[in-house]
Amino acid sequence: MLATLSVQNLTIEYAARRGKVRAVRNVSFDVQRGEAVALIGESGSGKTTLGLGLVQLLPTTAKITTGSITYRRYVAARQNGKSQPVREIDVLALGGKQLRAYRWQECAMVFQSALNSLNPVLRIEDQFADTAKAHGYLQGRALRERAYDLLQMVRLDPERVWRSFPHELSGGMRQRVLIALGLLLEPQLLILDEPTTALDILTQRNIMDVLKELRQKLDFSLIFISHDLSLAAELADRVATMYAGKIVEMADVQTIFKSPVHPYTIGLINAVPTLVSTKEDLTSIPGSPPDLIEMPTGCKFHPRCPLADERSRTEEPDLVSVARGHEVACWHWQTSREALQAFKVSA
Amino acid sequence: METLSNIGRELLKTFKLLARNKMGFVGFFIVVLIVLLSFVGPFIWPPEQSANVADINQGPSTKHWLGTDFQGQDNLFKLVNGGRDIVITAFLTGLLATVIAVCVGAFSAFVGGRVDSVLMEFVNIWLTIPKFPLLAVLATVLNLKDIISLSILLALLDWPGLSRQVRSQVLSLKKRDYIEAATMLDLGMRNIIFRELLPNMMSFIAIAMIFTMTSAIYQQVGLVFLGIVPYSGANWGVMINAAQRRGVLFTGQAAWSIIAPILAIVLFQLGLVSFARSLDEVFNPRLRTGV
Amino acid sequence: MSALTSNFLVRRFAKALFTIWFVATITFFMVRAMPGNALDVMIQDLTTQGYSPQDARDRAAALLSINLNQPIHEQYFAYVGNVLRGDLGKSYRSPSLRVSDIIAAVLPWTIFSVGVSLVISFVLGIALGTIMAYTRDSWIDHVLSNLAATLEAISPYLIGLIVFLLLGPVWKLVPIAHMRGALSPGVQVGFTSEFFVDVINHVWVLVLVYVLTSVGSWMLIMKSSTVSTLGEDYVTAARARGLPDSRIITAYVGRNATLPLFTRLAIQIGFVVGGALLVESLFTYRGIGFVLAGALYERDYPIMQGVFLIITIAVVLANLLADFLYGYLDPRIRIVGEGN
Repeated sequence: MLATLSVQNLTIEYAARRGKVRAVRNVSFDVQRGEAVALIGESGSGKTTLGLGLVQLLPTTAKITTGSITYRRYVAARQNGKSQPVREIDVLALGGKQLRAYRWQECAMVFQSALNSLNPVLRIEDQFADTAKAHGYLQGRALRERAYDLLQMVRLDPERVWRSFPHELSGGMRQRVLIALGLLLEPQLLILDEPTTALDILTQRNIMDVLKELRQKLDFSLIFISHDLSLAAELADRVATMYAGKIVEMADVQTIFKSPVHPYTIGLINAVPTLVSTKEDLTSIPGSPPDLIEMPTGCKFHPRCPLADERSRTEEPDLVSVARGHEVACWHWQTSREALQAFKVSA
Repeated sequence: METLSNIGRELLKTFKLLARNKMGFVGFFIVVLIVLLSFVGPFIWPPEQSANVADINQGPSTKHWLGTDFQGQDNLFKLVNGGRDIVITAFLTGLLATVIAVCVGAFSAFVGGRVDSVLMEFVNIWLTIPKFPLLAVLATVLNLKDIISLSILLALLDWPGLSRQVRSQVLSLKKRDYIEAATMLDLGMRNIIFRELLPNMMSFIAIAMIFTMTSAIYQQVGLVFLGIVPYSGANWGVMINAAQRRGVLFTGQAAWSIIAPILAIVLFQLGLVSFARSLDEVFNPRLRTGV
Repeated sequence: MSALTSNFLVRRFAKALFTIWFVATITFFMVRAMPGNALDVMIQDLTTQGYSPQDARDRAAALLSINLNQPIHEQYFAYVGNVLRGDLGKSYRSPSLRVSDIIAAVLPWTIFSVGVSLVISFVLGIALGTIMAYTRDSWIDHVLSNLAATLEAISPYLIGLIVFLLLGPVWKLVPIAHMRGALSPGVQVGFTSEFFVDVINHVWVLVLVYVLTSVGSWMLIMKSSTVSTLGEDYVTAARARGLPDSRIITAYVGRNATLPLFTRLAIQIGFVVGGALLVESLFTYRGIGFVLAGALYERDYPIMQGVFLIITIAVVLANLLADFLYGYLDPRIRIVGEGN
């Protein structure tokens, strides 16, 4: 079966005063039907730009210079037993009405700043109605019933929320309203950009539970953008780590956690506290993300990488397949795990 | 002394930055030109004492660049001789209002609490009262005769709005590290305000003062227009008034005797505002509109 | 209406009442106890007209509706009582006329002309400011921004003079001389087409001047407000939801960008009313500004006192209206109103 979303060689650049910011560089990945893919990276790694590119909501200063995004619409496969794409959409060629229909009907995106993603002067009711009306979806009573179901699914009290203004709801409630709103038109793909960042730990837990539950109940693909690998572990089927606008390692969630080979991914995993880890085991990656305008030569991670050698400094490695479904962009992938272990012991 | 040299250094920096901003430079140039003409001009072109019947109601010509009025007097001569009072009043008002506003605003921001909220509530109420009618009534009751007392009255009416801006500016500066450090060291409120805060607010204060000056120009010429402050001699407002009483607006005769002073005031105001705006752009690059 | 909402409204109402009281007090002391003592000037003036000192004193007191033999605090309470009853004294120059009657005759014209102008310039400013924000850094934006900045910088009555000159003697478009007054002589107030046409004939130049003087700052504020609203996440989010542009521009960008303008209404209303004092005199439009200008010129203290008080009350009430509208348009204000 062909993927719901195929991204091929996507490059996105910003025009800044100092020069070009190459926020996304030659990124390719697929999202299968019903699959959850996590994009993990530090801030400035290009993951949010990538997400915005998928729904063509990049700021005017940004430009997609190369690549393609192909989206495939399936009918509800359980009903007619077939799983052929009904329609193939070239997302980058969309404009006007078609683009508006693609947004939200096919692909909904919940933004990073959930607290500020709802219009402060409209009731929740009106924001649902606006969305439904824009897509010729249900109206009036039928819309309310559908919305109530969704609000219940995200564990909100529909009666309380429906007539409220955004400022009358807590951050966690607003985030769940947005998720419910995202699912309103039954999109095949939901993009969540840092859905739990601004929330306290308990609310964060709650949202993650809601998302897991929704994934079981409903049939949609998910792109989960986060800096937090542990959250990705809970939700994702597959994980891609991004560094300096590029995917540097991609594998299923088991592989990423059990046998990561890119030093950056290994670093991210070492920074995640686990139940059995001691304080000494926890390390953070030294240094900070690269300047995206004047990027380092060679492998962009080399200034922060203990394994960097002459080749890393001059040549940039491409993503290569190292096992089935496991790709990595590193010159030292064969020895990285042992070498890093030794490095840590000696230090 | 140190405060003064700090301020001097700030001014120099300001000037260098401004030279790069076209609009601001043009504005600055216009203002300097008007001020120079108003103070030096009268010595070169002294006011004409008598009427000149042969030349009445003329348009611009090589002999009279801006035409003549109903008495045949040259409009340019009158213009040059009529700017001094307006410039002085505008500057005095701007200076006084800014000094009061800085003191009250900074005080309010530093003391905080009840005093601050009472002061700001008072300012809010003050801003609701239509200022020009109040000014006109007060100027009539007080029977003002000279430009110094007029400037004081204008400043007394103008400072509250400004003090609110100063207050919020001080509040945001107060959060910066070096001010917090100074507060912690207990250097005293006066010291902190005059040594640390003011030098950092120079550009802001200059802009606020210029905007107060333009509003002072509006108000004083308005008072002349209403016949409340009976200026003698050739003041721009008086020129407009005299031309108007002659029916220039209806007949169109000697139109330049009213166009000339209007142009002078408009240029002065525009020059000040574009100078202030470019100051604002230079120091606050984020898009802002007015103060 | 929720408790929170009414709390906000009650606070605003209390503040409006306080402001009116404050101004009434100013007007009392203005005439009674300021340097250059207006009352003495008035009494002296009456004495030179042939009244004996005692008669002059009584007459001045009668015109101001106060009793000068009382101690000053009792005079003050009597004055406040008079104001509450609507008794603003009698005109000094035409003693047969009550100040309240004079005001009642001209106030509607000013409220009408200033009100219409404010609405037009507010709406126009919002529309043009929005265009400037959406086309920012294009030539349209540059032209409009410079125009707005220029209009904002020029004093209202200078704009009035320029309009007067251009429409009248220069372009000879309008018979300015026939536009004096709020109505032509002989036209009766009533629901007739003659009346409405005449009203508009007299008022449109004034409205033009007021709009020109106030639209510039609305444009500039609206532009900067819209630019910052366009950067808000809920606008991007609305686009992500596939909402049509028309809906986003109005309900998402426009409505939020307009809110900060309401906080400027207070200053703008005062500004236009202040301009009315000059502009009405210039065009001899018989509104309250014209009457005040005449009273100032003739030093008719009772009229000055009364008109200034009424102007302030009108401005305060207009602000109260704007506050209520703001409270209705911005749901968050209800909580702000409750907080201290």
